[in-house]
Amino acid sequence: MSGNTDRWITLAHGNGGRFMRELIDELFARHLANPYLDVQTDAACVPFAGDLIVTTDGFTVQPLEFPGGNIGHLAVNGTVNDLAVAGAHPRYLTVSAVIEEGLERDLLERIIKSLAQAAHEADVYVVAGDTKVVPRGHGGGLYLTTTGFGSRACQAPLGMRQIQPGDHVLISGSIGDHGTTVLLAREAFGLRGDLRSDCACVLPLTRALWDLPGVRFMRDPTRGGLATVAYEIGRATGFHIALQETAIPLKPPVQAVCAMLGYDPYYLACEGRVVAVVAADQADEVLRRWQALGDLGHQAAIIGDIGSSAFEGVVLVTELGGERVLDELEDDPLPRIC
Amino acid sequence: MANTDSPSQTHLFPPPASPPRGEVGGGTFRTTYGSVNPEMTSSMPSALPTGALTLRIHGQVQGVGFRPFVYRLATRLKLTGWVQNLSGEVAVWIEGHEDSIAAFQTAVIHEAPPLAKPTLGAVQRVEPHPWTAFVIRSSHAAEQPDIHIPPDYFTCDDCLAELRDPTARRFRYPFINCTQCGPRYTLIRALPYDRPNTTLAAFPLCADCRCEYENPADRRFHAQPLACPVCGPQVTFRWAHEEPSARLLSEVALQATVAALRAGHIVAAKGVGGYHLLCDARHSEAVQRLRVRKHRPDKPFAVMFPQQGEDGLAGLREFIELDDITAQQLRDPMRPIVLATKRTTSTLAPAIAPGLQEIGVFLPYSPLHHLLLSDFNGPLVATSGNLSGEPVITDESLAELRLSNVADAFLHHNRPIERPADDAVYRVLVGKARPLRIGRGNAPLEWSLPHALAHPILAVGGSMKVTVALAWEKRLVMSPHIGDLDSPRGRTVFQQVTADLQRLYGVTANTLICDAHPDYASTRWAKRQGLPVKTVYHHLAHASALAAEYPTVTRWLMFTWDGVGWGMDGTIWGGETLWGRPGAWVRVASLRPFYLPGGDAAGRQPWRAAAALCWEAGLDWHPDPAWVSDWPLAQQAWLKKLNCPSSSAVGRLCDAAATLITGLHHTSFEGQAPMQLEALAHTVNDAALAEAGLPDLPMPLVYSPLPPPPRGGRWEGGLSESTDAKAPPLCRMDWSVLLPILRNHRIPPAHRARWFHQMLIHSVVHQIMYFQMNQRIEFEAVGLTGGVFQNRLLSDGIAARLSALGVPVYLPTRFPCNDGGLSVGQVIEATAPMEAAADATAMEKSPLPPPPAGGRPEGGIDIVEYRS
Repeated sequence: MSGNTDRWITLAHGNGGRFMRELIDELFARHLANPYLDVQTDAACVPFAGDLIVTTDGFTVQPLEFPGGNIGHLAVNGTVNDLAVAGAHPRYLTVSAVIEEGLERDLLERIIKSLAQAAHEADVYVVAGDTKVVPRGHGGGLYLTTTGFGSRACQAPLGMRQIQPGDHVLISGSIGDHGTTVLLAREAFGLRGDLRSDCACVLPLTRALWDLPGVRFMRDPTRGGLATVAYEIGRATGFHIALQETAIPLKPPVQAVCAMLGYDPYYLACEGRVVAVVAADQADEVLRRWQALGDLGHQAAIIGDIGSSAFEGVVLVTELGGERVLDELEDDPLPRIC
Repeated sequence: MANTDSPSQTHLFPPPASPPRGEVGGGTFRTTYGSVNPEMTSSMPSALPTGALTLRIHGQVQGVGFRPFVYRLATRLKLTGWVQNLSGEVAVWIEGHEDSIAAFQTAVIHEAPPLAKPTLGAVQRVEPHPWTAFVIRSSHAAEQPDIHIPPDYFTCDDCLAELRDPTARRFRYPFINCTQCGPRYTLIRALPYDRPNTTLAAFPLCADCRCEYENPADRRFHAQPLACPVCGPQVTFRWAHEEPSARLLSEVALQATVAALRAGHIVAAKGVGGYHLLCDARHSEAVQRLRVRKHRPDKPFAVMFPQQGEDGLAGLREFIELDDITAQQLRDPMRPIVLATKRTTSTLAPAIAPGLQEIGVFLPYSPLHHLLLSDFNGPLVATSGNLSGEPVITDESLAELRLSNVADAFLHHNRPIERPADDAVYRVLVGKARPLRIGRGNAPLEWSLPHALAHPILAVGGSMKVTVALAWEKRLVMSPHIGDLDSPRGRTVFQQVTADLQRLYGVTANTLICDAHPDYASTRWAKRQGLPVKTVYHHLAHASALAAEYPTVTRWLMFTWDGVGWGMDGTIWGGETLWGRPGAWVRVASLRPFYLPGGDAAGRQPWRAAAALCWEAGLDWHPDPAWVSDWPLAQQAWLKKLNCPSSSAVGRLCDAAATLITGLHHTSFEGQAPMQLEALAHTVNDAALAEAGLPDLPMPLVYSPLPPPPRGGRWEGGLSESTDAKAPPLCRMDWSVLLPILRNHRIPPAHRARWFHQMLIHSVVHQIMYFQMNQRIEFEAVGLTGGVFQNRLLSDGIAARLSALGVPVYLPTRFPCNDGGLSVGQVIEATAPMEAAADATAMEKSPLPPPPAGGRPEGGIDIVEYRS
């Protein structure tokens, strides 16, 4: 086993000895180097001003690499995005890696590089980290946990409690790209050139709205997708939410794959989108600003509105004028009607 | 008699200023009035009485205006005495001339109100008592009267005659009604059932109506929905494209509606339980336009015919083949939609029921419908005014919002509909009209439970075709069809009906019963209510609903075949044979399961089931790429069992057969594939199959545990999956033997369709014979339930074969065999007595004996090994 330490991660990389130090130095410290990362100390000391906004998130994905990204991108963008939609200016990250024995060292390096690159693009510093190695069979290759620190930047107080009837619901881009891509990659269905994860940092999207007082609430629709975000808004506010099927951006290949496999794209994860609830009179302005951001926002759309109808919950208004309730996802969907 | 009235105490009607709490006639309520009004009793006959009788009359005599009828009859015959409600029957004392007494005995049965079904019980000659008049006595004081919410009644002959009488006050008045007819369930807001508690509250009675309302001799005595052109609701007509203010009123509105229909327009007309979309049923272009606008390409439309001729059905006979049972059902007081076969010469638009020989037909049941149909003088498509699967629309503003792209014009009226009721639907199966949908005309549906319940319960049904059932003491009340719960309106109506049933009957459920499927909206709703919840598995509910109708059967072999239901082993059931009785069902056989690519997507894409069977059997098959270009992805997913639940549903087998035989890849409504397959099978007869030399190949029974299937997949739900010693062994019907003929394109499609039905019939018989020979499975009767048995060819065929073998076989007659019957089944199953449950454990411990060596037991029933 020890002879393989160049190519594979072994338990020796987690035992506190030389292998571990070398792993940290050569992979983590080298790629993540920045003025605040000091591998010699146990804790980082960083300058900070303003209201602190903190979040933490664990990441697991199969496969670790997929068209459009890998778990390293996800671990940075996921946490940065959580800060961003909370109205924060993301500043620092910490990273904790749980590595499964047997992980290819090159793969780990690619992931760490991606992680570093994503952090660079988001303009955040990785200021502390940790690695553990678990025996083969005890982890899905690699688990990453990131904690993010940011300062309040958005003028408007954000939160579901700010949402009012009449507000509009917007999304910054197409839905289901990440979920579909990862699904196909995981099942090794072969590459479909036209499908890529939307994994991206959404900070430009949220930063564009910092000065708009009519912004009520933002959320990145990751696990559970757009439907789950809408459901949570409905549940928390007791308002009726109507989403217009025809307004929701959905790429044809995503639609085709979902149709063939029997999945509902409204419940599939996005990793680079923002759902925003905005006062009606500022919805067009949000749309204009988002669409000006190039790839990140060119497909942005006003997709629905908050109402005070007797029916509390989320309704998808279909192309033919039908109405379908979007319920909370219990688990993987079980067949109900076939 | 607890209270004997002396001649001086004939004071049984309330004073006019204080109307009775409860209707004496047409509806029935807490008939607890007991105050007095001597003026309103009949006058004393002039001749001395020459005889006296007491009579007991039972049958359907309560809540149908029976006592006012007896009062009027006795008064007409100049008899004295009294009539009184006892619990469940009516007691009458009559005295007077002998010939009048004789006339009374005949007339009380034969002239009874249309809704009453009286049977004469004990008749006793008694000593005459010098009664001065004939009176309606108050109900037996000791009894706590039961609340009954009547259904909406069809227009009675008396009102119909008035409707057509130019001299009558209500000539051509679309809301004419009396104690014998008119809406009830759809207009009651609260109890007691007094006018202020109905949707007629906004229409104060005029002086003339009040006179009728207060006169016990009048058939409108306490008819709560009483109305006339002076004081009652009115219809209004408007074109969809015109300003809402441009409305036509009353008679002009009716004429405009008929003119619009004649011109081939579509009119959304408000009726009793909701809106109908109407158009000329012989106008192909109009019917096609309705299909396009309603986004309903295939699902059949119902057709309403004018009531003509002696039996009212002359107008239908020109278009429809009517057998006696169908004719009788069409004329049933509930005036349901009945599925009936079109004549080959029928001039009805083909688009009414594409690909089918049967259409749903019905007679007008409200005065408004009578006026429209007789003025139009021809058949009209009358389909529910709704979006697919949703409850019918009842409200003017919603109709204008939702139907403005469908209807060219609206015929509104201003009598509010308190809650929707779609028309009830029946089909003749195995010699009886059987419900496919409970609704306007027979809902709320009452049922007596075999055991009194300790606590009131509410069962909330499934996910599609939902009904709910409230049960307390020994009573069960089932709601009308609500619809599917995918839409917000479906959910809203569902909540309204559950609340209304409890409020109207004065019963609050303290336990809820729901399906075991965790994602059904009804299940989730039940679990949010903060009450104890019991779950009942889908197919057990189906079985128990049927068992409830035949309480003398104690051991069933129950075939529960449908399209989907969450099974006890976590797979999708739908081809299950259950043995036992309510509270004690054991699954003893099923269809051989297969993995269904795409899960729920298979519901509207029968090619998926075809692919599943072929791929499972190792056969090369793919859908027509013109329909499904991306099928290789579905096959990849199937190989990896990604979103491919395991299903044993016969409904899916029928889908697969439809695709393999007819090339049907996509459907637009539930059941379309099997319906079209059945219709195709009806075009040839069994003799043609024999001539064609098609083999007899019932699905063999494969004995569990099954060996692993070919591609390294695994059986789910079979015994190979479960090592639980309590799980009984299963027989699986192996469908794979059907594939060579289903896929053989050299055999004409109609022959294959007929053959497929024959093989399903044979497979049931085959399975029954196997279990009959198996001493461990004793049963008294075979039951057929689940949506698949809405198929007449299948149900009639099985019943004929079993009757020839002397095996009793039953299908539901009161509750739908489809998911509409689940709510009742949930009540029965969840409240089955405890000793039955103990019995189930005993049954589980006595598994089937293994198949005999060589796989061929006595009797020649093959038990074959499964081979890949």
